[in-house]
Amino acid sequence: MAAAGPSVFLLMVNGQVESAQFPEYDDLYCKYCFVYGQDWAPTAGLEEGISQITSKSQDVRRALVWNFPIDVTFKSTNPYGWPQIVLSVYGPDVFGNDVVRGYGAVHVPFSPGRHKRTIPMFVPESTSKLQKFTSWFMGRRPEYTDPKVVAQGEGREGKAWAQWLSLCLWLRS
Amino acid sequence: MNPKEEKVKIITEEFSENNEVAEVGRQKKTSKVARQKRKKRLPTAGPEEMVSENPHLGGQQEPEQEDSDTRPLSMMSRRGPRSLPPIPSASRTGFAEFSMRERMREKLQAARSKAESTLLQEIPTTRPRRLQSPSKKELETEFGTEPGEKVQRTKQEDDSQSYSRVKFRDSAQKIKSKPPVPPGFPSAEEAYNFFTFNYDPEPEESEEKSQTRNRDETNQEEEEGEEEEPTVHGEHKTVMQDEEELLSAKDAEDFLLGLDHAAEDFVAVRPADYESVHVRLQREKELLFVPSRLTVPTYKKLPENVQPRFLEDEGLYIGARPEVPRTCQNIVENRLLTQDPGRKWFGDDGRILALPNPTKGFPSRPPMLTQEQDIKAELETLYKKAIKYVHRSQHMIGSGDTPGNFQLDIDILGLIFTHHPCFSREHVLAAKLAQLYDQYLARHQRNKAKFLTDKLQALRIAVQTGLNPAKTHKSLDTTQKTINEYKSEIRQTRKLRDAEQEKDRTLLKTIIKVWKEMKSLREFQRFTNTPLKLVLRKEKVDQKADEEAYEAEIQAEISELLEEHMEEHEQKMEAYRAAYQQWKAWKKAQRAKKKKKKQAVEEHPDEEMEEPYPGEEPVKPVPPEPTDRALIEQQVRERAARSRRRPGEPTLVPELSLAGSVTPNEQCPRVEVLRREDVKKRSVYLKVIFNDKEVSRTDSRPLGADFRVHFGQIFNLQIFNWPESLTLQVYETVGHSGTTLLAEVFLPIPETTVVTGRAPIEEVEFSSNQHVTLDHEGVGSGVPFSFEADGSNQLILMTSGKVSNSVAWAIGENGIPLIPPLSQQNIGFRSALKRADAISSIGTSGLTDLKKLAKWAAESKLDPNDPNNAPLMQLISVATSGESYVPDFFRLEQLQQEFNFVSDEELNRSKRFRLLCLRSQEVPEFRNYKQIPAYDREIMEKVFQDYEKRLQDRNVIETKDHIDTHRAIVAKYLQQVRESVINRFLIAKHHFLLSDLIVEEEVPNISILGLSLFKLAEQKRPLRPRRKGRKKVTAQNLSDGDIKVLVNIIRAYDIPVRKPTTSKFQQPSRSSRTFSEKRAASPTTHSPTHSSDYPLGQVLVRPFVEVSFQRTICHTTTAEGPNPSWNEELELPFRAPNGDYSTTSLQSVKDDVFINIFDEVLYDVLEDDRERGSGIHTRIERHWLGSVKIPFSTIYFQAKIDGTFKIDIPPVLLGYSKERSMIMERGFDSVRSLSEGSYITLFITIEPQLVPGELVREKFDSQEDEKLLQATEKFQTECALKFPHRQCLTTVTDISGKTVFVTRYLKPLNPPQELLDACPNNPQATAELVARYVSLIPFLPDTVSFAGICDLWSTSDQFLDLLAGDEEEHAVLLCNYFLFLGKKAWLMMGNAIPEGPTAYVLTREQSHYLIWNPCSGHFYGQFDTFCPLKSVGCLIGPDNIWFNTQRYDSPLRINFDVTKPKLWKSFFSRSLPYPGLSSIQPEELIYQRTDKAAAAELQDRIEKILKEKIMDWRPRHLTRWNRYCTSALRHFLPVLERSRGEDVEDDHRAELLKQLGDYRFSGFPLHMPYSELKPLIEAVYSTGVHNIDVPNVEFALAVYIHPYPKNVLSVWIYVASLIRNR
Repeated sequence: MAAAGPSVFLLMVNGQVESAQFPEYDDLYCKYCFVYGQDWAPTAGLEEGISQITSKSQDVRRALVWNFPIDVTFKSTNPYGWPQIVLSVYGPDVFGNDVVRGYGAVHVPFSPGRHKRTIPMFVPESTSKLQKFTSWFMGRRPEYTDPKVVAQGEGREGKAWAQWLSLCLWLRS
Repeated sequence: MNPKEEKVKIITEEFSENNEVAEVGRQKKTSKVARQKRKKRLPTAGPEEMVSENPHLGGQQEPEQEDSDTRPLSMMSRRGPRSLPPIPSASRTGFAEFSMRERMREKLQAARSKAESTLLQEIPTTRPRRLQSPSKKELETEFGTEPGEKVQRTKQEDDSQSYSRVKFRDSAQKIKSKPPVPPGFPSAEEAYNFFTFNYDPEPEESEEKSQTRNRDETNQEEEEGEEEEPTVHGEHKTVMQDEEELLSAKDAEDFLLGLDHAAEDFVAVRPADYESVHVRLQREKELLFVPSRLTVPTYKKLPENVQPRFLEDEGLYIGARPEVPRTCQNIVENRLLTQDPGRKWFGDDGRILALPNPTKGFPSRPPMLTQEQDIKAELETLYKKAIKYVHRSQHMIGSGDTPGNFQLDIDILGLIFTHHPCFSREHVLAAKLAQLYDQYLARHQRNKAKFLTDKLQALRIAVQTGLNPAKTHKSLDTTQKTINEYKSEIRQTRKLRDAEQEKDRTLLKTIIKVWKEMKSLREFQRFTNTPLKLVLRKEKVDQKADEEAYEAEIQAEISELLEEHMEEHEQKMEAYRAAYQQWKAWKKAQRAKKKKKKQAVEEHPDEEMEEPYPGEEPVKPVPPEPTDRALIEQQVRERAARSRRRPGEPTLVPELSLAGSVTPNEQCPRVEVLRREDVKKRSVYLKVIFNDKEVSRTDSRPLGADFRVHFGQIFNLQIFNWPESLTLQVYETVGHSGTTLLAEVFLPIPETTVVTGRAPIEEVEFSSNQHVTLDHEGVGSGVPFSFEADGSNQLILMTSGKVSNSVAWAIGENGIPLIPPLSQQNIGFRSALKRADAISSIGTSGLTDLKKLAKWAAESKLDPNDPNNAPLMQLISVATSGESYVPDFFRLEQLQQEFNFVSDEELNRSKRFRLLCLRSQEVPEFRNYKQIPAYDREIMEKVFQDYEKRLQDRNVIETKDHIDTHRAIVAKYLQQVRESVINRFLIAKHHFLLSDLIVEEEVPNISILGLSLFKLAEQKRPLRPRRKGRKKVTAQNLSDGDIKVLVNIIRAYDIPVRKPTTSKFQQPSRSSRTFSEKRAASPTTHSPTHSSDYPLGQVLVRPFVEVSFQRTICHTTTAEGPNPSWNEELELPFRAPNGDYSTTSLQSVKDDVFINIFDEVLYDVLEDDRERGSGIHTRIERHWLGSVKIPFSTIYFQAKIDGTFKIDIPPVLLGYSKERSMIMERGFDSVRSLSEGSYITLFITIEPQLVPGELVREKFDSQEDEKLLQATEKFQTECALKFPHRQCLTTVTDISGKTVFVTRYLKPLNPPQELLDACPNNPQATAELVARYVSLIPFLPDTVSFAGICDLWSTSDQFLDLLAGDEEEHAVLLCNYFLFLGKKAWLMMGNAIPEGPTAYVLTREQSHYLIWNPCSGHFYGQFDTFCPLKSVGCLIGPDNIWFNTQRYDSPLRINFDVTKPKLWKSFFSRSLPYPGLSSIQPEELIYQRTDKAAAAELQDRIEKILKEKIMDWRPRHLTRWNRYCTSALRHFLPVLERSRGEDVEDDHRAELLKQLGDYRFSGFPLHMPYSELKPLIEAVYSTGVHNIDVPNVEFALAVYIHPYPKNVLSVWIYVASLIRNR
């Protein structure tokens, strides 16, 4: 983070989506995007990305390693709306449909330096058992209309989420 | 801390300090010794040890030693850390290197020794002698201290900091003292001596001197240690250095030279740098200061000669100090002491000044989950009730108060009726009896009579003792006075006692009387209703004693009375005497006067005046009668007999019991049985009303036979605010019929000290004024009844009773009463009282004024230093300083003042802050403001200007933008409605449904499953692929340039063609055009314009289409002929306002897509025929033919627009005509020719497809009947099930946001009389006129005004007042007019192009149906193919709704006969008859005539503005106005209006030709309803008339406004360009 010019400051983020722990799933890929406030604008780098598909490691850790790099620079005039990185993990289900396996979000660290974040991941649950079955059967699990929803507070009242898993992220800002 | 303890501690500290000081000294010694020992073992530290290099001794040395030797040498060559502490022997240099170096050194040494030998001769003895001492001492200490050394060393480690500091300084000084000294090597001799000499123990004199000199240089502390032992080893080094100094001083030159050389030469082969830990530590010590942890003696912390003073011991209150570990405190103290003004930090008691402990005893942060915990535990989800985000009110909640949950416990025990309509007579008496008995009991308990009697007794005794002269000789006056006081008091008391006694007695009498009455009643009616039974218990008294007491009492009283009377008599006598004297004197005087008068009237004339009251004759006073004892006695006795128990009479104690038996029902007469049954039927419940709102109610309990109801319920009211009122409502239910409100009981709001568990049970009485008459034994309520047989002595009793309840504040879990802060009671300071425990400490409650408290504290001289008073004083200080809140809980803003980095005013002044606030409030101007500048100075003032202007103008009507004042008002009004509606829906916008966030497949029903199964069998690549829906894009992550509007222009029909007849006057210019015909080479591009010459004689046109959107213009290629086919796709970029691509913003885009059709005309401008061979000079002119305008909002909501549109062609298009083409023989021509006009087929869409905003799902409140609303819902779902795409409308939202049944909008309403009068005989013409009038009201879609919110329907009068509305309003008005005209008319809801879902009007003429477009005023036959209405959903009449259930919905294919239930499903049917809903439309519309003058003025202004605009659009050309033409046009426009733009073309053309003979003229009139200026300008711009850049072009512009009633204005603009023909 360095002041550039008289009126904006820059936030440079580079890091990587390192690995994930999804004990039940395999062959996942990961998407990331940033959610930020009105006063923020990306100046360089990629704001969104989609990783390769990775398989579980064969050792005890059973980690899904992506090591997927993130490099983006924002400029802003106001710390309000500090960028959040939103990650969503997808993978095939039993029938080979691509379904979402987890959503998660975390703020970009406020202090410069190397940070490691472990993000709990979750997916929305079906509203009923029957729907759960049909969605499983049809391979159309409930999804967010937009993954960015997870970074917002609005409209989250009284909705149930479940399935917490975790994902590691290294960030350097 | 206890002060005594403190003292003791300090003393011990001091003591230990001394110990320590001593110890330090010792340690220093020992440690030095130890070091020295180490040194010896690893002889690397000092340069003196270099002697080991001595060649003579080389062989004898141990290899280890040798090895380490080399190190210092190499180091030495770089720098001279000679005084550094010993280096561990870890260093290992390569042997080869070593030997090499060794050799070099030997050479050096050889050279040096030569020089040195001379030196040594000069000072032969000093050095070697000096060296002897260390070794010797070493030995000594080694032996002496060996055993204790280890212990000391550990201690030393503790103390290492101070020690090392000292040491360090020491060495540092040494270095400083002789920095330029080069690393000297001890001479060979030196070394030799070191190892071989037998040292002499006694130092010499000179040596001593040098030592002392040295010592002066060293540190003070060092000296202390040295004093005891001047030859300590520590000293050794300094001395050694001295030696070196000497050395260097003497043989600096030669000595240095050689060495320097050597060092430089061999720099390259040095080993890698290694800085030993010790070295580094040493250096760090140089930089760092580590304060000691030892306790600082108190005397150091205090000024000189000051004894520590302990305020606490002196009785002053000191707050508890924060707990800080002792060591930390010591460190801070040490640190402060080393600083210069360190002492100011210490208080009188020698401790660091500290504020009272600010820390809390318990953590305010919830315990953190540790990582180690089971993951399950962390994942356990808890249900938390969602806290609603109150968007608008976030700034209204005062930050001072914590909105918490407070609780009021209301315990309702029960209810007792003291009167009830069902009371029988006996009950009435019983109630009376019970009441009296209660009264009796209460009196008995208080026993006032007894108390007064006792008091009387006491007073009497007091008087008697007071009268005793033995005691009272001191001050007779005062005793006399007190006795008098006593006496008067006795009198008072006696009177009171008598009254009380009398009351008691009468009460008893009444009780007995009532009881007797009751008994007689029971006997009379032969049954008992109440179990009441009165027993009079007689208490025997000792007759004699009683009599005596009685007599004594009477005697005492008599004597007192007598005394009293005597006194009175005395006074009276006194008065009498005085009066008598006066009278006598007067008499005398009178007599004397008479005498005088006789004698000397003349001399003393004024004496007469002195006569006091000459007229007054004093009456002779009558002497008062003496009191008669007998009389008094009689009185007293009488009174006693009346009010007191007779002596010997037994005391009567009434006892009321419920032991009596109630007569069972069977034995009662019928009326009584009825009554009892009635009572059984009744039940009672209470409602708890809090702040006029019902919060809870008790169970309904049956009324007992004794008219008591027991509830025993406790209600816990969770409240937020201080209660305003607390009421209980008593409801009675009789049988199954309704409940009646009997009475309201107002409960007092409890004091803040009343908490649950301590609240007393109170009985609150209530009564009602209801009148009840019953047909059984019950006496009723509010009606007279009597106990007597003859009906006399009537009584009227009202229902009344008592509620026993208790109200108290609940106590929270942690014992804090849950009472809302009193600050909510409008008194600011009270809250402080509540919180602080000060109040409990003085034990008062209800203290309301802190100022008073402070005053009281000042008056009562509270000791502010008394620890007991501390909380109170704190409270007072808070109160007086204006701080109103002393919370004893944790809150974030606790130290708000301290944390504020700027003051509030400054914050408010900040432009940036303001900008942020406004944006967060979603103020329209700032809602999407991006990148708010980081600094105030970067914010432009003008950012706020618009906003401020708007705020100012809120009520000021601006007439600048709106030429017409009425419209300005309307615009303002609309703006305000819009704002309020938007504000209301902003909250709704933040409200998300599950489906907004989560995409979830619905559970498939069987049909979908079947369909999907069917799909499996479907071909993968069908031959006729169906169009698939595009993926929709949510408008969130879009930016400029992402959205494009695609306009696909397919073809057009019936474009007007150029007229050959014009050639008459254009002939002269024809010469220039012959050229084009000659160009045979390019037949396609060759212009067939001047078709009169065309071989076939066919008149042609070369149309092209230009699409303009947001001032971006695209055009197609030029096609030919009146039925051109372009088939081109144009792509126009779309920019959202402010770059905001949110749904709301997109919805409010007001831009239109203009599709203009032009004719491309080529003119040859070559003026000289001679050049014709060498160049081509043609000018392309384009002539506007017509346009289609499609609002963006329509495209946005429709997603795609596909269809054939009528081109809006001006009524007069000079030079063009619509030819009935002879050569067309396609079948539909006949149909098409019915409708005049040109058509264009278009396909418009947005790429990518945007998700249109959804309508707000808000359920509006309604005044409609609930059943009706349910029916509408049912109807709608039924319809939607059958035909999901057909529009079915039953309820709409009116302008105030209420749901209204749609038929209420339809009602015959009168059109303006003027229109009716226009053609009275032609109903069709009238209808058209009316339709035209309606179409002249400007169109404003709701989606624009209420972005994405809802469709609001305004009534016709509102519509006419607003003069703006969308299809529905137009259609409703038109339909109402038609109904008035006696037509059969319906509102037709359906889909049309381009509007999408819309409303049309259907009328039934004699044989056929007509479809009216209310916005354009056009009408179409049912079978008109070019009717824009494409599908019909439902018809709405004034009394019913019909839903189209036919197979088709195209108006061409459906039957409009609504009487057929198979085709039209009606809303109101036999099962649900029309309830006769009243209309919400006004009775009648009132039309004001529009002010003609105003219209004329407006006309002039518009003309002026448009002319200016045209000139603006032509910045590089001269714009000339042809006045002649303008006036001609101006005359012509009214004609157009009169004929409504039809069938005037030919006349007009002829006339114009006549007038403008030699001009080539292109221009056309535009017609539109007037709403504001901007659309007019846009329309003129879109024609492109101004684009002509022929040098000698002239322009003409005329505006005509035709006013219709109610300010509906029809605007005509004639714009033309003229080119003079030469």
